[in-house]
Amino acid sequence: MEAIELEHLSFSYDGQTDVLKDISLTIPKGSYTAIVGHNGSGKSTLAKLIIGLLEPKSGTIKVLGQTLTDHNLKAVRDHVGIVFQNPDNQFIGSTVADDIAFGLENHCVPTKDMQRIIEESAAKVSMSDYLNAEPTNLSGGQKQRVAIAGILAMSPEIIIFDESTSMLDPQGKASVNEQIRKLNEAKNITILSITHDMEEAAQASNVVVLDQGTIAAIGTPADVFQNDALMSRLRLDLPFGLKAAKAFQAHGIEIDAVMNNAQLVEALCQLK
Amino acid sequence: MNNIALGRYLPLNTIINKMDPRSKILILLVMMITVFLPAGFIGYVPILIFIATALYFSKLKLTYALRALKPMIWMFIFLLVINVLVMRTGTLLISWGWFKVYSDAFSQTAYIIIRLTLMIILCTVLTATTKPLDLTLGIEKLLKPFEKIGLPAHVIAMMISIALRFIPTLIDETNRIMNAQASRGVDLENGTMTEKIRAVLSLIVPLFVSAFDRADQLADAMEARGYDPSATRTRYKVLKMTNVDYFAMAFALVVFATDLVLCWI
Repeated sequence: MEAIELEHLSFSYDGQTDVLKDISLTIPKGSYTAIVGHNGSGKSTLAKLIIGLLEPKSGTIKVLGQTLTDHNLKAVRDHVGIVFQNPDNQFIGSTVADDIAFGLENHCVPTKDMQRIIEESAAKVSMSDYLNAEPTNLSGGQKQRVAIAGILAMSPEIIIFDESTSMLDPQGKASVNEQIRKLNEAKNITILSITHDMEEAAQASNVVVLDQGTIAAIGTPADVFQNDALMSRLRLDLPFGLKAAKAFQAHGIEIDAVMNNAQLVEALCQLK
Repeated sequence: MNNIALGRYLPLNTIINKMDPRSKILILLVMMITVFLPAGFIGYVPILIFIATALYFSKLKLTYALRALKPMIWMFIFLLVINVLVMRTGTLLISWGWFKVYSDAFSQTAYIIIRLTLMIILCTVLTATTKPLDLTLGIEKLLKPFEKIGLPAHVIAMMISIALRFIPTLIDETNRIMNAQASRGVDLENGTMTEKIRAVLSLIVPLFVSAFDRADQLADAMEARGYDPSATRTRYKVLKMTNVDYFAMAFALVVFATDLVLCWI
């Protein structure tokens, strides 16, 4: 059983132009998939379709083996969490603890268990000291970590990040990206990350490139980012590590094509 | 922009802060009725004793509670003028030709001023000692019995708490838009009335657009997290009454009963 299966999925907002055109995609359990592409390529629409906020024009969406319908929507959402782009517009509670509790309240978790779950989830995103803090006193990165905690509290199998780092400063971005990687590695949660940030895409196990509603490429970060023709056609930025490695190669220095900064440092240290 | 007098919560951690919001709301209701009982000036003595006790235990300064009255001074003066001109009962105090002033003009104005002042102090004590969210929860629990006749108590409480949650966010947004418009040459302070109205419109339209946008995203986030207004939910915060609550409610009822008796004497 795969985490998410999309079959011939099409979607249109106005009934005329299709935002997504005949997308078929399989996301295996426990994988970390990054979806990249320009604005208007249909990335965020895809996320909203998977969580059932939008209804497809045609095609089917299977989440954990179940085809999404109006009837099982709530049951499916028990297993899927989503972190949106704007940190302010998804903070529902008046304090961190209340916000984490919101999802638990909706899922009728008994009151006596809530405090424990809230503390555990806050600890996982290092927000234990802020349980009584109000959203106005938190940074964007902290708010996004609270959003992640709110989802972890419901122990989902799939978490979708819909450009969750695009409104954050570099520090917030790094802390959230670190969090995403940790979740995927330690808890084997399937991650689907929609992102503009190529550094983040490079840490994924799979990259899907969307272009004007169709899948332009799919593969490991190494495969996708080293496809020079595709990258220059879509004018996508490369991760810094790869960009640097290419620059070294252009100067005749023999170095492996690396994906992230850590690998770059290692490769540079091994140069003779 | 940040000193909006919404009855700000003061985290003083007093015995009254820890009281159950339900009992505080009920006490406020009882005291409001008591304030409006026609028990004469002597009837305000028990209420004043109650308020003094509440202020003492909540560690609030009387000046803090009275601050909210400042903008109402003009209203009080206006009331007095109207009463002097209209009131035709009581003893005649001044008589200059057609201009006659009766004593009731002053006593009636005094009643209104005293009542409003007492109400404002009582409300200030409530809002200063109760977090907005607890207040919402208290209202929700108190409205629960009315759910049987179709009143959506939980939905009302959710709307209030989201509105409260977004006040600071929208104030930030307003400041941002004000700066953005000012940098484009919009002058919010000077100019004729029409120019000012036009300038305010340039503030309000983008603010509304962004508020609707936020509402849309918030609805998505709530739905994605399994919120269903018609479904039953459990609650994280549970309210519990203690002896302090029972004592305070008994005190309020005694004050109410005393004034009721004073009405008949």
